[in-house]
Amino acid sequence: MKHRARWIALSAGAVVVVLAIVLATQVGTDPRADANKSHLLGQTAPAYDLPTLDGGRVRSSDLAGKVVIVNFWNSWCIPCQQEHPALTEFFRRHAGDPGFAMVGIVRDDTDSAVRSYVTDEGVPYTVALDPGAQASLDFGTRGQPETYAISPDGVIAGTQFGPSSVTNLEQMYAAARGQR
Amino acid sequence: MTRRLLPWLALAAVVVVTLAIVVWPSGGKPSAAERARSIGSELRCPDCESQSIAQSSTETARAARADIRQRIAAGQSDADIRQAYIDKFGDSILLKPESSGLGILVWGLPAAALVLGGGGLVLALRRWRREPHLHATDADRELVQQARPVR
Repeated sequence: MKHRARWIALSAGAVVVVLAIVLATQVGTDPRADANKSHLLGQTAPAYDLPTLDGGRVRSSDLAGKVVIVNFWNSWCIPCQQEHPALTEFFRRHAGDPGFAMVGIVRDDTDSAVRSYVTDEGVPYTVALDPGAQASLDFGTRGQPETYAISPDGVIAGTQFGPSSVTNLEQMYAAARGQR
Repeated sequence: MTRRLLPWLALAAVVVVTLAIVVWPSGGKPSAAERARSIGSELRCPDCESQSIAQSSTETARAARADIRQRIAAGQSDADIRQAYIDKFGDSILLKPESSGLGILVWGLPAAALVLGGGGLVLALRRWRREPHLHATDADRELVQQARPVR
């Protein structure tokens, strides 16, 4: 009887110790950290074929062999508005490079609101719409802005969740060109 | 002996019947729509807080529901579909913790606590039962009489 009670006490103690170790090692870690990064980094970028705001289409297959910066954004998102000058400046720096393309994919917005934003603010790169949100889902987006740098061989070489700066756009661009 | 065992047998029967009702699969094979709803209810809506893909009305959640239906139609298993979403979004896409790795603690600790608590209760009950029932002897009664104040 005494031994049995001892074993039960020991087992209860073991459970408490395991719980304490787990809690101690997890203190300070963000349980949602997993949600703040792309799990597609290093993987082949999803294919897309989307209508553009100017009535054309943009296809990932047509951009193969180029470094492609894909930015998910919309007109009502304040961080998207904040990063707009950085995206524009970055695009102007590389616009003359035939091995470079940049696509802004609109997520969760209306065509008219996007059209009016583009007219007012000026977006010099291709603006694509994502009806049905298939591209947003395929890229594993959780909101906007999110930016992906795709290498010429179609691999996601850099990602940014939240507003980008010119510096981190340049870093992602260099990573996508294989110039880390 | 049989009378002593009867409460335990009754308790065991209640446990078995309850488990059978709760765990036993209801109905036959689930339809594609039921499977899609079930998978969607286990996955977190990617662009909203604490809502499942099945509940949310965001564009991405609607796209995910369509994607799950397509995957089912293409013959993918529930586990394959769940894994595809984990590969794309990470473990945080799951509304329920996984039953492997660290996630097993979430499921295992309450069960372990239940087993240990139940074991402790059984031991305590058995110990209380074994304690001798004392009856007052004549000597005890005499002692009490002596201790009582004389009126």
